[in-house]
Amino acid sequence: MGILSLLIFIPFFTAMGVVFAPSPKSVRWVSLIGTGIHLILTFFVTIEYFNLASADSQLAIQQLSTKLYMVEKFDWFKSFGIQYYLGVDGISMSMVVLTSIIIFTGVLASWNVENRSKEFFALLLVLVTGVFGVFLSFDLFLFFMFYEVAVLPMYLLIGIWGTGPKEYSAMKLTLMLMVGSALLLVGILALFHASGLHTFDLIQLANVKFPKDFQNWVFPTIFIGFGILGALYPFHTWSPDGHASAPTAVSMLHAGVLMKLGGYGALRIAVYLLPEGAKEWGLFFMGLTTINILYGSLGAIKQKDLKYFTAYSSVSHCGMVLFGVATLNLMGFKGAVLQMFSHGIMTGLFFGLIGMVYGRTHTRIIPEMGGLVKVMPWLGVAFYIGGLASLGLPSLSGFVAESQIFMGGFFGNQWHSVTAMRVLTVLSTMSIVVTAVYVLRGLGTVFLGPIQDKHHEELTDATFTEKLTTGILIFTMFVVGIYPRVLVDMIEPAIYPILNRLNM
Amino acid sequence: MNLSLELMAPEIIVLATGFLILISDLFQKSKNENKASSILAIVGIMLAACSGLFLTDAPKETLGGRFGLDQLDLILKEILLLSAGLVIMISPAAMKEKSEQKITHFSEFFTVILFTLSGMMFLVSSRDLVTLYVSLELATIPLFALTAWTKTDKSGEAGVKYLIMGAIGSAFLLYGLGFIYSITGDLGLKAIQTTLTASQLTNPSLYLAGALILAGVGFKLTLFPFHMWAPDAYQGAPTPITAFLSVASKGTGLILAIQLLLKVMGFLLQPFVFGIAILATLTMTLGNLVAVRQNNLKRFMAYSSISQAGYLLMGFMTTKPEGLTAMVFYMLVYALTNLAAFGVLIVHIHQTGQEDITSLRGISKANPLLALSLMIALFGLAGIPPLAGFVGKFFLFSIAAQVGYYWLVAVAALNSTVSLYYYLRLVRQMYIEPENPQSQKLQISPMSILGLGIATVGSVVAGLIPYIYDGILATSSQWLQVWLKI
Repeated sequence: MGILSLLIFIPFFTAMGVVFAPSPKSVRWVSLIGTGIHLILTFFVTIEYFNLASADSQLAIQQLSTKLYMVEKFDWFKSFGIQYYLGVDGISMSMVVLTSIIIFTGVLASWNVENRSKEFFALLLVLVTGVFGVFLSFDLFLFFMFYEVAVLPMYLLIGIWGTGPKEYSAMKLTLMLMVGSALLLVGILALFHASGLHTFDLIQLANVKFPKDFQNWVFPTIFIGFGILGALYPFHTWSPDGHASAPTAVSMLHAGVLMKLGGYGALRIAVYLLPEGAKEWGLFFMGLTTINILYGSLGAIKQKDLKYFTAYSSVSHCGMVLFGVATLNLMGFKGAVLQMFSHGIMTGLFFGLIGMVYGRTHTRIIPEMGGLVKVMPWLGVAFYIGGLASLGLPSLSGFVAESQIFMGGFFGNQWHSVTAMRVLTVLSTMSIVVTAVYVLRGLGTVFLGPIQDKHHEELTDATFTEKLTTGILIFTMFVVGIYPRVLVDMIEPAIYPILNRLNM
Repeated sequence: MNLSLELMAPEIIVLATGFLILISDLFQKSKNENKASSILAIVGIMLAACSGLFLTDAPKETLGGRFGLDQLDLILKEILLLSAGLVIMISPAAMKEKSEQKITHFSEFFTVILFTLSGMMFLVSSRDLVTLYVSLELATIPLFALTAWTKTDKSGEAGVKYLIMGAIGSAFLLYGLGFIYSITGDLGLKAIQTTLTASQLTNPSLYLAGALILAGVGFKLTLFPFHMWAPDAYQGAPTPITAFLSVASKGTGLILAIQLLLKVMGFLLQPFVFGIAILATLTMTLGNLVAVRQNNLKRFMAYSSISQAGYLLMGFMTTKPEGLTAMVFYMLVYALTNLAAFGVLIVHIHQTGQEDITSLRGISKANPLLALSLMIALFGLAGIPPLAGFVGKFFLFSIAAQVGYYWLVAVAALNSTVSLYYYLRLVRQMYIEPENPQSQKLQISPMSILGLGIATVGSVVAGLIPYIYDGILATSSQWLQVWLKI
């Protein structure tokens, strides 16, 4: 078993360990050790990746097809051209790092799950297995398989351990995402049969020049298929309900990682394989994502529930990811991947903190809280750091990503009207102002001023695990914000092939 | 005449076991003692399955060319034997029970199942129209009796309904066969096919014959609009029979279709492709939409199996080996998955006496493994990776894409989403809804556990190991070369 297979299946083995764990109490330790090992392994794989990739970093600029490292390739359904094909490039490496961090902190954040904890951790880990699988597989069939494994456990996770109208939210989320994968399935089968290569190998398919008419209908099919998971307007409606009803760790994983599968797929499959379609539809999707960005941030202003508040802000930020993808230039793509990383960490922090605050106050309604920073300074400050990252404060990760995306949008490309792109970009940047309004107002109400509720005076600050959880996430945010080259060096070489395919 | 009976070894063993059980019943003290007869039945089926493995040097013929055997036939027979074996393993759970549908006379019950099984196996091997029709009746008539087994009102009503509808289906088929005979003047499948292909007949009555045969197949496969018998028969029949029916009837339909539509009239397929696409669309959509509203577990499974037939039909859109392979593979996967689901439902329904889907509440706490097994089976039916149900569906959908029917892929994929909704309704009852205070620990015999285990594990593993698919693909491309010269 190669190192990448290990990265995928460690969570799965951990899930098996959880199932056979002796007592419900030991379950969380098993999960923590499993995900901890995974985090360490990810660290070493990242270093190894840099070692391997630094050698060809100069070559990358002219590269036409993605260079993969640590490849594992076996025939699976040979007569159907299906392979077990794993590999890693810069984009997937950064996503793996993100996921590994989020699942580790997610396990920490679910430290207090008592109800059926065995099933909870097992499902959470199975879900993450699917996520790693998606990021590391370069065979479309395998990709799709892992994709659905990542989506479906969500139903049970929200349905059993959620709050509020959980059955409704869980069903809505699952069905909408499944409609997305139905579209994807059509797209994948169309690619398979139209290529005539009888293979699902993504790298080989990328060398095929599909006819323009074909690209014109397959591109939107696949893009919308992924867009549904990436909360593309008007298919985002599952996201606020789903995130609001989900338990803490699930919201963290879902907003932090799972929604990124949408952006990742849109870039990796839709744009990479179907460049002509992307040129045809780019502006249209830029328009849709502009609505995304504005609608999400304006929607967040009106929210009274902290989780809905964050969920709408997620819609806005995930819109930026797809906006970056739709700009079809280097900065846009780079910004999109950076934003996936940055938003993943940021939103993970947000949902983690909301869970911690809710665990104390037993309310998530913003007007019912106030002055909480007096009793829980650590959580309050952490919340503010997250908020400032979300409104794009320099030195935090959000700034790096958003500036790249908007610069990409303003820079324009040769296939679309630059004026139109600039207008859309300017409109989108307005969301930063709106974000500042809702973040500062919302957090101000919750944490500043006099304490509203007398019961809140006896609340305590973060425990050690909670400090560890938030600390890891905040540290990551600062690292990326102050020294973005760690990520940029990783991502950039992987973006050139996609760009070069567009320019061909 | 060269009478090489060894080609018929599996069928003979199955029939002999049937009679043996009937005789051994005479020496049993209690009419309801079923252990000996079920073990006997399973041993018989295993022997038959093993004897099939010694016949791999096929193709061969005997009985003056009326009975033939080739590799594909063997695969189909092994699938049938496996399904029947699983049904026999899981059905004794229906012995001790509260439900009014208590099954009595288990020995005769097994005997009749074995007779049906032998009929289906003869159907696979029949090489002329008369043998084919007689085998078909041998496969279906015992099913009518099985449906009416418990002698309650519901069961009797279901049996009669099934009998009438089944007879109409047979009549359609017979009419179609009559046309074929009158056009070609021949009874042997090979001869008919040669005549038809050589003369390039565009006789309108040939198309009529094709349509009538398709209707006959439609009754067995529960295609729209010939599906009406299924919900009532499924609901009324004793649950083990519902399980057997869901697999046996589909299997019979598929075999008939392979024998008549593909083998004999395969070269005529092209003008029918659009019609098949429409039929598949209507069948899966109807099955799925109606299943959403069902609250009775057995009716629910009936509509779910109707929609599965719609997916299965997509494999008929091409004469390329992938189409045939996808169908046979899906049949195997469907049998395993459906029987895993029924394995749990039989235990549940016959011990609680309740058939409503809300009665599943709390089962995940009281019987976590049964609930898990049912959940895996339901997800398999919905086509969720990495279960075999997904792989099977993927291959079927791929056929539609291969012949350029992308809209059908979209329709089928959206239908899968709808189906996921109602399968999740069951999962929700099991895992999410508050517990039923009366939910109890269900008793389950070792034999049932084994059957259920094989079905559940099979429904996961069949999609992960490629050898099954590859094997069927190799066989069916060879088969198509022999029969259709493609």
